[in-house]
Amino acid sequence: MLKRIFLPTILVILGYGFWISPDFKEIAAGVAVFLFGMLTLEEGFKAFSGGTLEKILKKSTDKLHKSISFGFVATAIMQSSSLVSVLTISFIGAGLIGLTQGIGIILGANIGTTTGAWLMAGFGLKVKISAYAMPMLAFGVILIFQKAKSLKGIGYILAGLGFLFLGIHYMKDGFEAFKATIDLASFAVDGFKGLMIFIGIGILATVVMQSSHATIVLILAALSVGQITYENALALTIGANIGTTITAVIGSLSSNIDGKRLAGAHFIFNVVTAVVAVIFINQIMDIVDIISDFIGISPQNHTLKLAVFDSFFKIMGVLMFIPFVNKLVNFLETTLKGKDKQEFESYDKAQYLNQSVLEIPSTAVAAIAREIKHLYSNAFEIITHALNLNRSSIASTIALEDVIKDRYSENHVDIDYFYTHRIKGIYGEIIDFASVAQSKMSKENIDDLYALKLASRDIVDAVKDTKHLQKNLIKYDKNSNIHIKEQYDSIRMGLAELLRNIDMASKMDEEEEIILLLSKMKIHMQRYDILSNGILDNLIRNNLITNEMATSLMNDSSYAYEISKHLVAMAEVIFIDSAGDIKNIGKEMFISDEDVDTILNKG
Amino acid sequence: MGSKKFIEMVMETLGLDEIKKSSKKKSVKTLIKKLNNKKDKIDEVLKVKSGKKKQKELQEEKEILLCQIKKGEAILKKLNL
Repeated sequence: MLKRIFLPTILVILGYGFWISPDFKEIAAGVAVFLFGMLTLEEGFKAFSGGTLEKILKKSTDKLHKSISFGFVATAIMQSSSLVSVLTISFIGAGLIGLTQGIGIILGANIGTTTGAWLMAGFGLKVKISAYAMPMLAFGVILIFQKAKSLKGIGYILAGLGFLFLGIHYMKDGFEAFKATIDLASFAVDGFKGLMIFIGIGILATVVMQSSHATIVLILAALSVGQITYENALALTIGANIGTTITAVIGSLSSNIDGKRLAGAHFIFNVVTAVVAVIFINQIMDIVDIISDFIGISPQNHTLKLAVFDSFFKIMGVLMFIPFVNKLVNFLETTLKGKDKQEFESYDKAQYLNQSVLEIPSTAVAAIAREIKHLYSNAFEIITHALNLNRSSIASTIALEDVIKDRYSENHVDIDYFYTHRIKGIYGEIIDFASVAQSKMSKENIDDLYALKLASRDIVDAVKDTKHLQKNLIKYDKNSNIHIKEQYDSIRMGLAELLRNIDMASKMDEEEEIILLLSKMKIHMQRYDILSNGILDNLIRNNLITNEMATSLMNDSSYAYEISKHLVAMAEVIFIDSAGDIKNIGKEMFISDEDVDTILNKG
Repeated sequence: MGSKKFIEMVMETLGLDEIKKSSKKKSVKTLIKKLNNKKDKIDEVLKVKSGKKKQKELQEEKEILLCQIKKGEAILKKLNL
């Protein structure tokens, strides 16, 4: 209901404002151009959010102080804490970073927003900023029309900055003209009542504009021409800081539980900082006066003093919260709980695919890659159990001869049940999600996505082939013919070795080790193919197995070969670090079938 | 001069189209170096006498590494053309 009346009310208020005051029209247009600039700037930065972003993210968020610095730098460059918040939620949603790192980024982003106030107060209000806007817009738009992704990105960034500058110019001009007709300062309210009223206005303005940055720029423009008092401007700034959390809350609605927890952390942090600022407002104002005096800002320069206040207030908040980050994470984890594990027990569901990661193509690809790893871990469980092996033995260093003796169960595992409950649903979700994600992607991302889709199909095919193989594995497991039993144990051992190598590759960081393991898997696959290695011919020729056994062995050997082929193809895609050297080089580095033959012949 | 040509000239002057190529080159070089180090380690282990099975395994690993190093050098050669 509220949603339905919100937009018409805003439009009516704006329409009425335009009708009674052309200056208000100019201010509103300035805000609109400024917000459009922010959208354009965001678009530009998204163009660069490929593997490089993930690489930087990995290296710069492993410690809390690094995440804070990352949040600060990213926000200072992008000039939008909302974008950084949404990106962080999306990174968390894709499982690229954890909640603690996410909170660090949000804390840093809060300090990063203060650079906007400094730019506006120190530069935007003194220089004829529109003079810079025009060339930026002209160059920006030319570049936007280019095909190359990077040039397009630069174009959007230039145009975005141009629109930001133009917006500031309109806001400033609008307030200056407005002053001649209406003096807003006469509506200023003193004392605690005034503080609360203006905090409320700050919250409302930020919720409407969805940007605390735009609100602060607007406050500075109004303050620079004396349309609001310094005290009211401080209250508006505090309000803007609370209002901005709404953007993150909205962004988190479509995210996973960690995304929601992050939005919760953002909300708690900003509200607590605001409450502390309200309680100690007089003391903070005194400190701001001392700092301003110390760095040579004149007592009458309220715009720069507001920038000092903005910085002090936000840095104070971050310093206040740093010792409690772990407690905050614990609190959020116990308060905001994910779906009960038991709910997943019967039907497993996708864990990383949510709307929030769709915003950035590279995070969507990363989320799908993670989901396929999840799918593989389920497949690993099913395949090992179907082969009557124990997962823990596979993942250990126990000799493979002993691994195959360590049986999982005396009863056979129902693969159909497992397939329906732990594979089919997730696979379907991956394919659906990939189709939606693809619509926003560049060719490069689509190629990555295609490889991932094939990898998920490989997993499904491997499970299906295991089902066919399982039938005779059970049948011949207790057979009195030692030769056929030996052959089926050999198939089990071959697959156990393959699964062990994949497990090792999944846990490794060293690229040369991964590439070596992947090659070994290919060689191993060929070596265990009894159709080509002559073992089957030998068994038939010497009448060691019956015709029925030979047919079964031939078919099952093919299934084992197919399982290996699918799993190796999958491993080549999902266990290669997306930011690593092998990914950058591409498939050219992997050994081919001819190479495998050459190496086998040498052996 | 059309905008497309202008952009091409700017890209050429700034060497932007070379960035991708040089990044791939760097990746190949790094990987070849890592593979060579791994091969050297295997060589050292091979010098010490161990079981026949282990020797065979290591020899095979060495063959794989040699094949991969060869592939990397071929990619590098192609990039340098």
